[in-house]
Amino acid sequence: MSSTNSRVAVDRDPGRPPSRAGEEQPAQRWIWWLEELGKEHNDLVGKKCANLGEMTKLGMRVPPGFAISVDGYQKYMELTGLAGRIEAYFTSLGDELRHSLGKQMEASRAAQQMIRAEPMPSALGDEIERHYEALCRRCGARDVPVAVRSSGAVSMPGQMETYLHVRGSAEVKRRVVAVWESAFNTRAIAFRLEKGMPVDRAPIGVAVVKMVDAKSAGVVLTVSPLTGDTDRAVIEGNWGLGESVVSGEITPDHFEIEKATLAIEKDVHRKLRWVVSTGSGTAKADVPAEMQEEPCLTDAEIRELIRIALDVEKHFGVPQDMEWVVDRDLPFPENVFWVQARPAKYTPRKKGDETDYLVDQMARLFRR
Amino acid sequence: MAVQTTNGSGVIPGFDFDPQADLEQSPAWFLDGTHSVPPWTPLFGWFWINFCRHGMQYGAEKLSLPTVKGWDWRFKNGGGYLTLLLVKSEEERREREKRFRDAIRPFVEDYDGLWRGFVKEMLGHYAGLKKLDLATATQIELLDNFEQTVNVCRRMWEVHMYMMYGTYTAYILFENMCRELVGIDDTNPLFHTLISGFDNKVLQVDKTIWKFSRKAQEMGLASIFLESDPKDIAARLDAHPKGKKFMAEFRAFLDEDGWRMQRMAEINVPTWIEDPAPALTTVKQFLAKGGEFNLEVEREKLTRERKRAEETVLAKVAPEQKGWFTTLLRLAQKSGVFSEEHDHYLDLYAHAMIRRSALALGERFAKAGTLDAPDDVFFLIPDEIRKAAINPDQFDLRPVVTQRRARWREWSRVPNPPVILKDGFDMDQAMAVLVKSNDPIALKVVVGSMPIARPELKADLHGTCGSPGVAEGTARVILSEENLGEVQPGDILVAATTSPSWTAVFSFIKGVVVDRGASLSHAAIVGREYGIPVLMNVFVGTQKVKSGQRIRVDANMGALYVLDK
Repeated sequence: MSSTNSRVAVDRDPGRPPSRAGEEQPAQRWIWWLEELGKEHNDLVGKKCANLGEMTKLGMRVPPGFAISVDGYQKYMELTGLAGRIEAYFTSLGDELRHSLGKQMEASRAAQQMIRAEPMPSALGDEIERHYEALCRRCGARDVPVAVRSSGAVSMPGQMETYLHVRGSAEVKRRVVAVWESAFNTRAIAFRLEKGMPVDRAPIGVAVVKMVDAKSAGVVLTVSPLTGDTDRAVIEGNWGLGESVVSGEITPDHFEIEKATLAIEKDVHRKLRWVVSTGSGTAKADVPAEMQEEPCLTDAEIRELIRIALDVEKHFGVPQDMEWVVDRDLPFPENVFWVQARPAKYTPRKKGDETDYLVDQMARLFRR
Repeated sequence: MAVQTTNGSGVIPGFDFDPQADLEQSPAWFLDGTHSVPPWTPLFGWFWINFCRHGMQYGAEKLSLPTVKGWDWRFKNGGGYLTLLLVKSEEERREREKRFRDAIRPFVEDYDGLWRGFVKEMLGHYAGLKKLDLATATQIELLDNFEQTVNVCRRMWEVHMYMMYGTYTAYILFENMCRELVGIDDTNPLFHTLISGFDNKVLQVDKTIWKFSRKAQEMGLASIFLESDPKDIAARLDAHPKGKKFMAEFRAFLDEDGWRMQRMAEINVPTWIEDPAPALTTVKQFLAKGGEFNLEVEREKLTRERKRAEETVLAKVAPEQKGWFTTLLRLAQKSGVFSEEHDHYLDLYAHAMIRRSALALGERFAKAGTLDAPDDVFFLIPDEIRKAAINPDQFDLRPVVTQRRARWREWSRVPNPPVILKDGFDMDQAMAVLVKSNDPIALKVVVGSMPIARPELKADLHGTCGSPGVAEGTARVILSEENLGEVQPGDILVAATTSPSWTAVFSFIKGVVVDRGASLSHAAIVGREYGIPVLMNVFVGTQKVKSGQRIRVDANMGALYVLDK
């Protein structure tokens, strides 16, 4: 038994669908259900997917979905012959590429053009389709809308492709290729050059996750981002999909929670715009007048978000930056979903260091 | 006992000053002039000597202060005498310092939580004591209430000194850092601006009294206040239909915040609840002055100035030091708030509780003939109160009281010496011991900074800056709280020292001169909040300045000028 297989066996979630057992030789598997994954699979499926897997292990409600591993990307590049062609192309560019942004843009266009022109080999396409259909069966719906996102093993600027509300296996396959393609956008190329990484390949994972029919969405930070105060947590949110909050285009509702007492301070804003699902994607729209000044979360939902966020923070031992979605139709608390959890970026107050220093200075006062 | 007859004391078992034994223990004993002049009654002296002493040793031990183990106290002729308990070996100092590092942390990490927790605890204790209806209580219940009061007072001093040692340690560090990094010390006006503009409970009480003055105006009661002698105001209001309504509201306020006596460190004067005259006098003074409550306007101005001062000071601090310096600045700013609030929640309130409980027993004693009058109880000590508490009719404590009262009068007639020194030991050596102790309370409240005489200023008296500013006005020399009613709007108050019962006059005077004080003493803190100059450590102000003289106080320069000599 290969090491891959034993790892999956250990991590296997008892609730996973049984249909996949033995569907492929373990060594060849390059698509994984989220609940089979954990943070140790970072290199296999990329950060986002490994993280979503880890979140399911923590008991967080994560929308169902699957991960296409970096092996999927490699297979695609090899089966299509793209790997060799792209390598040859970059070799031909020589050293000039490093110094010229114009050349980098040109290389990006060329490489992406090569990828785009290459149809997905059916061996791969069928596998993706099988998983998408299994996902549809799990959700009890045909052509269930999904989000297709890039999942790099290392954070890389430019590799943040996200396609929302993708429906049907043909579209899903098209978007997966688009994510692979994004490994060759100009910023990604420039980044790899700068870091001295191989420029002609960039193994990348892809997350295919069911879209939550969002009533509201937003972020939780278990630290006050401005003051670095770790005694407080902050929730921001808006009606509809979370993109309006993350993009910073609107002033979202702002809730501050004192961790010790769970006292909630609400700062409800007039929310004029939101992002909604359309039949074939997402669109920005005006928020209906009667909803504009209503808080986008109930107190119970706020408390549920905080409860879980603090558990996760405790598990990882550092303040978290998490993205949540509240489903429109499901009953509370089954309507609370998580789509992201990562260490929060903030300027620590270095409370401990300061205290140590002051205590030290106070002790010195008594040295005659 | 021989010792008792020779030293004329024999009042507080175990703690009467014994020249031979006590000077053997420590060569220098300092009189606590702030609290025990005029001399204490025996009962109050018993509480103070036993529990202030306990509290200081408790606080020093809990914090494991590296160089000092608190203070020892003795009672002599109504005066409290103190000496420091020094840590004797370097090895012990090092051991204590290790524990100190952990013990002091809560002050840095969560000062507000610490203080609020203690306030809540103490208010809970007081509420428990007040639950007993004294009028209908049995003798056993009254004695039980008294015993609980003893414990509450003891606990009060634990909280008091633990908080005070920790708070002042932070404050002294801030002063040192200001000197090192910014080049200013606690006699610099900029320093005082940094720690001004904060509300506290004592000021909130003042503001409520001011609101009552507005209410009196609106209800058409101003003339009753302005035309009556302070002691008659309550009776005249009670006889007036609207006045009766006013007094009902005023008494409700006092039930909440009137648990204080005019003298902070004594129990033989009525609380505001028993006698509202002092509080009503303040209402009268507000009415006479008219206009807005200075503090509101002043607070905004002070807060703005403080923010500017913070910017000025922080600009001189290196970026990597700004973090801890800001934390320390906030702590120092809280020191002033604590200094005022602890008087309200700790000393004043607990002492009012002692008075309440002891006087209830005194009433029963007077009825049973144990004593002639209820307040004779202040001339007993707890063991004597216990002796008669359950069966007062069986005991006659009048001879004890007669003898003690005569002695107490004698104590008042002959002032206690400021310091008692062992033969061959002088004042300089005594001060050296104080400084060597590094005791934060001794340094910040007792010693203070010494004024620097500057001949070029041609000033009549020199002092240190307690609150910045310059003022010119009529001097009003006030030696006792009882005479506070004499203070007129626009006066400059000249006093030996001040306490929270003096606070209200700060709102309508132009400046303050005190004989003794340090930057965390009452006059300085309150002066800063009202934005009036306070000149401290003038030493002989009350002797050299006469009421009615025009004087100019320049706190910034540390100078006092008598304009009409």
